[in-house]
Amino acid sequence: MKHLFRLTFLLSLVVATLQFSCTGPKTPKDEYKITLTFKPGEEAKIAEAFLSIKDSTLILLKEGVYQFDNLSIAQVNYIRIQGEGHDKTILDFKQQSQGGEGIRVTNVKHFTIDGMTIKDSKGDLLKINKSRDIVITNLHAVWSKADSTSGGYAIYPVLCKNILIENCYTEGSSDAGIYVGQTDSAIVRMCKAAKNVAGCEIENTSHAQVYDNEFYNNTAGFLVFDLPDLSKRGGHVKAYNNYIHDNNFRNFAKAGSFGTTWGVGNASPGSGIIILAASDIEIYNNRILNNNSSAITIASGFAVDAKAGEKINANYFPIAKNIYIHNNRITMGAAFPKPAYEHRIGQTLIAIEQQLNKLDPARKNKRIPFIMYDGISSNILTKRAALNPDSICISQMGDNVFVNADFLNLTNVQNWHPNTNIAPFSCNQVGKSH
Amino acid sequence: MRKTYIFSSLLLFAVILSVVSGQGCKNKSTENTRQSAKEDFQFKEKLSEYGFFKDKLNTLNPRDGVLGYELSTPLFTDYAVKKRFIVLPKGKVIKYNATGVLDFPDSTMIIKNFAYINTAHQQILIETRLLVRDPKDKSWKVMNYLWNKEQTEAVRHITGGKVPITLLDNDNQKLFTNYQVPNTNDCKRCHIKDDILIPIGPKARNLNFTVSGEKENQLLAWARKGILTGLPAICTVVKLPNWADSKHYSLTQRARAYLDVNCAHCHTKGGDAYNTGLFLEYEQTNPDHLGMKKTPVSAGGGAGGLDYDVIPGNAAHSILFYRLNSTEPGTAMPELARTVIHKEGVKLIRQWINSLAKKP
Repeated sequence: MKHLFRLTFLLSLVVATLQFSCTGPKTPKDEYKITLTFKPGEEAKIAEAFLSIKDSTLILLKEGVYQFDNLSIAQVNYIRIQGEGHDKTILDFKQQSQGGEGIRVTNVKHFTIDGMTIKDSKGDLLKINKSRDIVITNLHAVWSKADSTSGGYAIYPVLCKNILIENCYTEGSSDAGIYVGQTDSAIVRMCKAAKNVAGCEIENTSHAQVYDNEFYNNTAGFLVFDLPDLSKRGGHVKAYNNYIHDNNFRNFAKAGSFGTTWGVGNASPGSGIIILAASDIEIYNNRILNNNSSAITIASGFAVDAKAGEKINANYFPIAKNIYIHNNRITMGAAFPKPAYEHRIGQTLIAIEQQLNKLDPARKNKRIPFIMYDGISSNILTKRAALNPDSICISQMGDNVFVNADFLNLTNVQNWHPNTNIAPFSCNQVGKSH
Repeated sequence: MRKTYIFSSLLLFAVILSVVSGQGCKNKSTENTRQSAKEDFQFKEKLSEYGFFKDKLNTLNPRDGVLGYELSTPLFTDYAVKKRFIVLPKGKVIKYNATGVLDFPDSTMIIKNFAYINTAHQQILIETRLLVRDPKDKSWKVMNYLWNKEQTEAVRHITGGKVPITLLDNDNQKLFTNYQVPNTNDCKRCHIKDDILIPIGPKARNLNFTVSGEKENQLLAWARKGILTGLPAICTVVKLPNWADSKHYSLTQRARAYLDVNCAHCHTKGGDAYNTGLFLEYEQTNPDHLGMKKTPVSAGGGAGGLDYDVIPGNAAHSILFYRLNSTEPGTAMPELARTVIHKEGVKLIRQWINSLAKKP
């Protein structure tokens, strides 16, 4: 028996040796061929390591504060940038002297950034361009000051495929904290965003799921936009189980206090969710509380661009359609937030409330309804008068849920009739099962 | 006994297996070495090692086979004076290409030297950039060489950096700036299109002119020397206007040529600024893509609170003008390779935008 054991042992040893001699220890898929470890003070070496990085590299940044101008990674695969936690590994980009962002990742497949804080760049903080299979996790991306000197986007994947953003926090972006642009397949979950102009924005992005997040104290909590003249169309976006509350912050995008005609400059302080020119959107099981200008806005491209109709093509359709809003818990505070009075769209929302209460004294000066639809439907393209041609479907408890704000007559007060009749838009009518 | 026999056989088998696969390993490792022998093209440590220039290195006096060339409209880089050369492998020729960059043979090297004019009116070299077409995979590779203070050598440098300089601009005005030497990823930003790194400058249309002091059109001269094949009748080759030549070209032609060369390597479909939808190629005709009353996509604060990329007739409120007229990171365009304002370029673009017909 002893003999047999010894033989077996010897045998397995030989086999093991021969295995290892050839291939080395088998590594799990998510491990990397090269690991480089750095500590604060080695910024120059780190910048060089980023530039000369090879496929399958893990860069570990030990605890401490690092000062960078900017960092970039391009045209490599299987890269992981690992910190020791958002409260331990801090990358400060206030020295940024050129370029558009603190960290830039271009043409990379399988990129992960995990466990650090990046802060105070002049441009965007983390831009990931034309890449795929991206994981952004346990990342805090913040500007110390929430004003127009902050960069635009904290976490900014664009023209990508397969993006996961989770357990992140963004603050102070003068545009959107988390901004997913022109991307296919994205998940944003368990993130927080506060004191940005927009907490999170999904733009011209298809197949996105946004869930279990908290967007609060921004100008606007969550945006789904499609814009014209871009590389792809968005759509098929679901947002659920999010907590979107108290987004009443002044719009501090450059010239945003009054509102530019584009992008988040358009977002009125006090906006919970804004859907602009997007299609196939489902918003459900969210808590949308205390966003005091409009809990949910559904608007067409015509609301911000009179020439939106000329820009229709395979990648753009200005009318919001197939919008399904159901089972959200929604409340609003007693009054518009002060900054809304100074904002172009904020003033419109205030006027809608006033007009509704003027036309219908029975409302007894109620707040603007939770869901504001601009009422610009594809009827203006088809010259028809269908009641709900674009499948806007709403199933929400309570009264004062909905207003069709009749934007087409906005400038002509005599004919302006905002209308709270939800019937054509209730899911039973639309025939949506739920 | 039988058991011992079985296990001995197994042991023997294992040993044989080990030897065989050891052999396998050996084969593999020779293969690896062989592969690494024809690994990527390796850039040399010092510029002098290539032997591009005779006499003193900083005279940039080309040896035979190192071919100088100029561009009709060049990229602006902080008033830098640029000297460009091409080195073709022996016996190889460039093939004409009507659109885009000429078709250079494997192992072509493109050399671009950047100097500034100091207050004593001397040319001081800052950096030399190389683009090499690697014969191994036919891909272009970039490297940068940084000149020493003594101007005797330039050394391989991948991390970029800032060089404080006091330069004279075209009006002999003194400008102090931190010249930005690009790092190798910065190079890629402008040079990558559709995920492939390519040269930008040497397109037929931007070479199609007679360099001042020469008698012959540059492309014709190359064809005559036998280094360019496939050149059609020169009158059929498109010319990119010289942005500074108001005698021969209209304001619009010059402005569009300037935007093409300074912006369109990124602002094009498949370029680094593909996401913006602002496309500034010379051939672009779609007014939306040209920015006419186009709202920005992701400019953020870089737009300066303005509404449109270009408002015809109103440069002062056009984002395009605003960003060309800035040196602030996050606002300034181009994002790279420019730290001072190009007064002459900004003036051209202002005039052009203001000349555009206002539409209702």
